Amino acid sequence: MTASSDINQLRTEFLVELDRVSTQRDLQDLRDRYLGRKRGAVVALLKAVSKAPAKLRPTLGRTANELKAEIDRQLTARSELLESQRNPFDKVDVSLPGRTQVIGHRHPLTILREEIEQIFSSLGFEILQGPEVEDDYHNFEALNMPVDHPARDMQDTLYLEEPLRTLDTERPGTLLRTHTSGMQIRYMENHSPPVRIISPGLVYRRDNPDLTHSPMFQQVEGLLVGEDVTMADLKGTLECFLKELFEKNTRVTFRPSYFPYTEPSAEVFITCVFCRGDGCPVCKKTGWLEILGCGMVNPAVFEAVDYDPERYTGWAFGVGIDRVALLKYRVEDIRLFYDNDLRLLEQFSY
Amino acid sequence: MKILISWLRDFVSVDVRALELADALTMRAFEVSNIEPAPSGIISSDDDAILDLEITTNRPDCLSVLGIAREVSTIYGTEVHVPSQDPVSDSLETQGVKTASPLSIKIEDSQLCPRYVASVINVTVGPSPNWLAARLEASGVRPVNNVVDATNYVMLELGHPTHAFDLDCLEGDELSIRRARSGETILTLDGKERTLSPEMLVVADAAQPQALAGIMGGAKSEVSGSTRSVVLESAYFLPTSIRRTSKRTGLSTDASYRFERGADIEAPLIAILRLRSLLSEIAEGRPRGPIIDRYPHSFKPVTLELRHEQIARVLGVDIESASIPTTLSRLGFSVEALQTDRRWKVSVPSYRIDVKREIDLIEEIGRHYGYDRLPSTFPSLVQPPVQTQPWLRQQRLLRRILTATGCTEAITYSFIERSNAISFTSEPNEIIGISNPLSENFSVLRPSLIPGLVDSVIRNRRREHSDVRLFELGKRFRLSNGETSGLAIALTGAGTPEHWSMASRNVDLFDIKGIVERVCEAVGVTPTFELKECPQLVNGRATNIYGLIDNKQSNILGHLGQLTPELAIKRGFPDSGDELYVAELDLDALMRIAVNRDEMHATPMSRHPSIVRDLAIVIPTNLLAGEVRDTIHAASSETLISVREFDRYEGTGVPDGYVSLAFRLTFRAPDRTLTDVEIDQAMEGIVTRLEQEHDAKRR
Repeated sequence: MTASSDINQLRTEFLVELDRVSTQRDLQDLRDRYLGRKRGAVVALLKAVSKAPAKLRPTLGRTANELKAEIDRQLTARSELLESQRNPFDKVDVSLPGRTQVIGHRHPLTILREEIEQIFSSLGFEILQGPEVEDDYHNFEALNMPVDHPARDMQDTLYLEEPLRTLDTERPGTLLRTHTSGMQIRYMENHSPPVRIISPGLVYRRDNPDLTHSPMFQQVEGLLVGEDVTMADLKGTLECFLKELFEKNTRVTFRPSYFPYTEPSAEVFITCVFCRGDGCPVCKKTGWLEILGCGMVNPAVFEAVDYDPERYTGWAFGVGIDRVALLKYRVEDIRLFYDNDLRLLEQFSY
Repeated sequence: MKILISWLRDFVSVDVRALELADALTMRAFEVSNIEPAPSGIISSDDDAILDLEITTNRPDCLSVLGIAREVSTIYGTEVHVPSQDPVSDSLETQGVKTASPLSIKIEDSQLCPRYVASVINVTVGPSPNWLAARLEASGVRPVNNVVDATNYVMLELGHPTHAFDLDCLEGDELSIRRARSGETILTLDGKERTLSPEMLVVADAAQPQALAGIMGGAKSEVSGSTRSVVLESAYFLPTSIRRTSKRTGLSTDASYRFERGADIEAPLIAILRLRSLLSEIAEGRPRGPIIDRYPHSFKPVTLELRHEQIARVLGVDIESASIPTTLSRLGFSVEALQTDRRWKVSVPSYRIDVKREIDLIEEIGRHYGYDRLPSTFPSLVQPPVQTQPWLRQQRLLRRILTATGCTEAITYSFIERSNAISFTSEPNEIIGISNPLSENFSVLRPSLIPGLVDSVIRNRRREHSDVRLFELGKRFRLSNGETSGLAIALTGAGTPEHWSMASRNVDLFDIKGIVERVCEAVGVTPTFELKECPQLVNGRATNIYGLIDNKQSNILGHLGQLTPELAIKRGFPDSGDELYVAELDLDALMRIAVNRDEMHATPMSRHPSIVRDLAIVIPTNLLAGEVRDTIHAASSETLISVREFDRYEGTGVPDGYVSLAFRLTFRAPDRTLTDVEIDQAMEGIVTRLEQEHDAKRR
């Protein structure tokens, strides 16, 4: 038999218990005991009401439901009260630093090289690697620089005291490559056109180290050979590359130049990254900075690798990664790239 | 090459300002690196200036006012005026006046000297007139006396070097152009005694060499204040011969610079005529006898066919046909239209030694059309793009793993100090030297990456960076196995970063070992380690690294360990008691046994729970954990999927000479849920085996 006195009894019990509650955990326990779907006292009460005589049922039902709502209200209010009373010293001091996860940094020249590789990969270029110790043929002769060619002076070379065996059994390595072009020759010796490759890597010149020179530096060279390859394509591709590498609004200009392995040859200039073309000491007030060398592959090079120059044309370019890094990252001394001072290296994002 | 604009105006009319001219030349392959004001002493209009031009090695013809004048005439469409010549000597030559020359000329090696023109002339030596001296100075040449200045003037103007010998200082009445005799010497004009060898060409009198041909005259026949007669030389020498001699003697002059790049074989006569005319004007020059011209094989011009469609094929632009013969003619080429439409027969002038094939003519057209006017297009993709190469993928992967382990990438020089290389190798005869190193610091190719990396660590330590973790990917060079790819790691300082919540500790062997393990795992290789002894590493803290292929040990992959404090300190490491750990892996060897990425497949994950049991045993200290681990594996079925050491304890409760080692063992079957009974049996089996084999006691 359920009566309104029972309901009141339950209400009183609840309020007594509620007063004793001091933690959120106890509060949750209390909620479970009264409002829990399976064993909750109020639920049990509502069940009992449903079995009460029909004429008492509406009143009892209303009272029981009012109690349910009140209990819920009380629990919520108490929860808020407990929350507001919580001791502030229970919280951790979130201003203390979190634990360091030591993550190393890639070298800035690697970051830049991978960026360049990425740009050319997306243009369909294959990335090659090759030996740093080269033979004279692949470094010079096949590139239209026979012995005694004055252009060899442009690339002062470091030679080995004794020849080193390489993959090429006929020609042992005698020098440190002055550019990565040797790899392109090898590739052409073993592949028919079309050719679409870049060859990044370390190269060596007999230059005394100073602000802008290093006896070792990194280069990316590109080569494209096919049946309808023009200098206009070279222009379009390099403009796209340089705008991607520097800023979208970088201006690019091509000036005639000379390299034995390309004809015609050009040097490519971009608007000075320091003054944006207004003229400053870095660009010697010209507003332009030289950034790379390029040109149409000299037919003499094609003949060296048995390509028919009447059928194929091609273009090539070479860019010094260190030089780009000096300009792009505003590092003032190329030697810093090989000094490995963590104060510099840690400035570059992972 | 410095060009005075007012001098240029003697040859071609230039109506533009210096800056505009400089831009125009720069855009046609002659970069103007500087514009200087014309010096005082030069009488010219107020827009005169000196252009400092950079002449590429293929254009020796433009190492002269005349050469630049041809380019300027092409740019602005004007004519070039040829300089005035000496009409008297001209007539002497052509009328065959029977005045005998006081000197004869004999070419003994016509391969090295294809042409030699000479003329004897009486002069009065004195200072040059101001205008001439000023022009020389503007071009960066120091005036000496009127005779020497005249030879320099002609070289700057026409690009052809000439020389004057004092006739009275020569022995005999013949100059011969011959190879030097072995051991012969010459005192050159710079005051240096030089010993000659037979690959060098000299101009000699009856007694001795009087000039190192094409490079520098001898001091003995130098023109001086007392000179009354001179022999003028205007010759053509083989470029490779001049270049070799210049390199061999370390002597580079304005003359050798031009000859080694290729002079104009048709120029010697023009140059000597100009020289005689100039000397008659400024040095009271009076020729004695005719000009002698020894020129056994006369020049035959190269003729080339130029096709309009080929120009378009290379440059990617359709250049108006009519402009093509005009451009080439202005540059000095003779052009003849062929029957076939838009094709020309082009004859190359003798001074354009760089033009050998059609492509060289296309360059001329493109250069004067302007590269900036070419359209920008894209090459069509005619083949599918290539997949990233495995070596590149692996390099990128290694960088990812290594940076994730807290190491920062270093790049060090491939050449190091010989003594440093020797300290780091047990096989000094494997070291490859550089025959022309920049300095002792760069004298050999590195046999290992470690010396360079250690130096980088040390530099950082000296800059108060106490915690250093570096790695490098690069090539090493050894005589027996050539060039190989390596990975080196070096660690020192804190092993865990400092944090307020816990104490920090310094790096130890297990830090570097852990990194090597992660690197090997990344390419699917299980590494194994074996103690090794090597003089560079602390004994007992050095191991060789191998890989496991089908449960068999691979060839050696590398080594790791603590660098000996003696070696570290010798290289400059602060004597702080801190330890420096290094590792080096042969990447070529590692990659040979690496798992191919295409063979990576997932194995299904078991739906059944695993059971974990801890096992603590007491074993003799000298027993390796690895052996215990192997025994545990050997005593178990395949349901034991992992064995991990989680505690190691020596001290109270453990007898002296023993250590307590705790393992966490995980069991799981792929096809069923294991029962406690099964595991209890397995554990018992393991313990029994450990007791039998290692005298181990369960704790």
